[in-house]
Amino acid sequence: MTARLLPITIGLAAIILAVAYAVGGVWKVSPILLAMGALWWVGQKRHWNLFAPVALVGFVVAAAVGLWMSLPAGWMLAGVVAALSAWDLDYFARRLGSVERVEMRPALERLHLRRLVSVDGLGLLLAGMALVVQYKLSFDVVLVLGLVAVLGLSQMVSYLRRESD
Amino acid sequence: MTRRLVLLGGLIYGLLLFGLLTLKGGLIALAVPLVIYLGASLFYDPGKLQLSATRILSSECVLPGKPVVVKLAITNHGSQLEEVRVEDGLPPSLERVEGEAQVLTTLKADETIELEYTLRGKRGSYSFGDVQVTANDALGLFRRRGRISAAAHLLILPEVQRLRPVAIRPPRTRDFPGPIPARQGGPGVNFFGVREYQLGDPLRWINWRVVARHTESLYTNVFEQERIADVGLILDARQQNDVLSPDGALFDHSVRATASLADVFLGAGNRVGLLIYGSGMTRTFPGYGKVQRDRIMRALARAKTGFNYALESLEYLPTRFFPARSQIVMVSPLLPEDLRVLVRLKACGYQVMVISPDPIDFEAKSLAPHRTFQLATRIARAERKLLLCELQRVGIQIVDWQVAQPLDRVIRVSLGRLPQRHELRMVP
Repeated sequence: MTARLLPITIGLAAIILAVAYAVGGVWKVSPILLAMGALWWVGQKRHWNLFAPVALVGFVVAAAVGLWMSLPAGWMLAGVVAALSAWDLDYFARRLGSVERVEMRPALERLHLRRLVSVDGLGLLLAGMALVVQYKLSFDVVLVLGLVAVLGLSQMVSYLRRESD
Repeated sequence: MTRRLVLLGGLIYGLLLFGLLTLKGGLIALAVPLVIYLGASLFYDPGKLQLSATRILSSECVLPGKPVVVKLAITNHGSQLEEVRVEDGLPPSLERVEGEAQVLTTLKADETIELEYTLRGKRGSYSFGDVQVTANDALGLFRRRGRISAAAHLLILPEVQRLRPVAIRPPRTRDFPGPIPARQGGPGVNFFGVREYQLGDPLRWINWRVVARHTESLYTNVFEQERIADVGLILDARQQNDVLSPDGALFDHSVRATASLADVFLGAGNRVGLLIYGSGMTRTFPGYGKVQRDRIMRALARAKTGFNYALESLEYLPTRFFPARSQIVMVSPLLPEDLRVLVRLKACGYQVMVISPDPIDFEAKSLAPHRTFQLATRIARAERKLLLCELQRVGIQIVDWQVAQPLDRVIRVSLGRLPQRHELRMVP
């Protein structure tokens, strides 16, 4: 199941972002994004393990630049979610392929996909709400919120470093 | 902290900073799916691993080449582990012929996963160590590693080649009947001498030829008693004496020879002890029968070559380990400086036999047929021959064994039958 879903998510990520750029009139970027998707797919087939993170960064940067250029935000968000799913499935497929025996493979795949779908759904919903619902905030508030966000993330990362191996 | 976590964190940071710098809320919104992904992974973090493992081997002591089935059961005593990878590290030199030593699965609370695989290996003593377990959440962002103890020990015994009885003749034998000529008159099979007739002697034992020459009295045949003997086996495990080639080590042949000799001597009812002289001295005290055979085989299975400055030469050979005037059988490729020690052993009253696997022949087979090598081989052969001749001259029995040949045949050719004493002697 994972093997079938992975090329679909890679294709979705590349096509959504390419179409968004094309719709926004930036035609030149679309082939690059499609090529990046194709390379990711080939890399996954040929076990180029480094390509998945590079492609994820590429797609997220493309989405961020697209948003900055005022291209359709919904498409960009969908592209990021698809790229995140593809990156996750790529790693999951590699984990499954790296061992000699996978016990209860259907159950493992089901659990993984259920988790991924719920994360994607929640992420799309909350990010969509964030895009739709807009409040005007003063610069000071933005600055404080930004600092809180950065500090919060720093705290979380240091906590994770302590907890994780 | 995994690289994936660093990447995800970096992307989230990047989007937040880019959004703040450009004052675009949409960019911050793009980070939301990534944050949700991170949060979900954190929420389902596997936590502390509470696992236990049991390992069962189909046999803890086998012959080389025989398969051993390893069963490993891992039980989860904690909460559910969404994704767990179990990896069993095999001792080196063991070959897995069937089954898997790795598994990826999901483990519910109190659930057990089993691994089963078949191994095969060469002679040796192998210890199974810990099992490596890696658990992560379903998204694979947070990983917990642990090692679970599942100790077990496997002993692969040396191969035993069946030998025909080896003729030995130690100066002193033990009191129990056996196959070794005891140099004493009494009941037996082989003729030993004659003595004056005593009342109670069977008439068919009277030696009429002697009586015909000495008519004043009757004379009776006396036979040589056959008893068991003390045999001390010495296995030379000094590293400097071993030769390694692509086909293996010469030491393995020495071990095989020692095992075969122990088998044949114990099979004949003798009391056999073993001393492995290498990095240390491993002693198996003299004993009889199957239990002793098992002890010796286990000691030989563990035998390894090693280097020890103190035991560089045979000077410190503990002669007290062997009963006085017993038979000593040494299995060694021999070094020139061993001559003195072996001569001393012989002088102490031991009957010494040396089974010497030929290191020159063994090494020469792995060398290219170059003129220099051929010349070097000739010189080394001449030196070895000289050493063996000197040993033979002092009465040490030598079996020069080219390991490609069967040991049984080489022993038979080298030792043959021991000379029987058929000269007429008067037994007091």
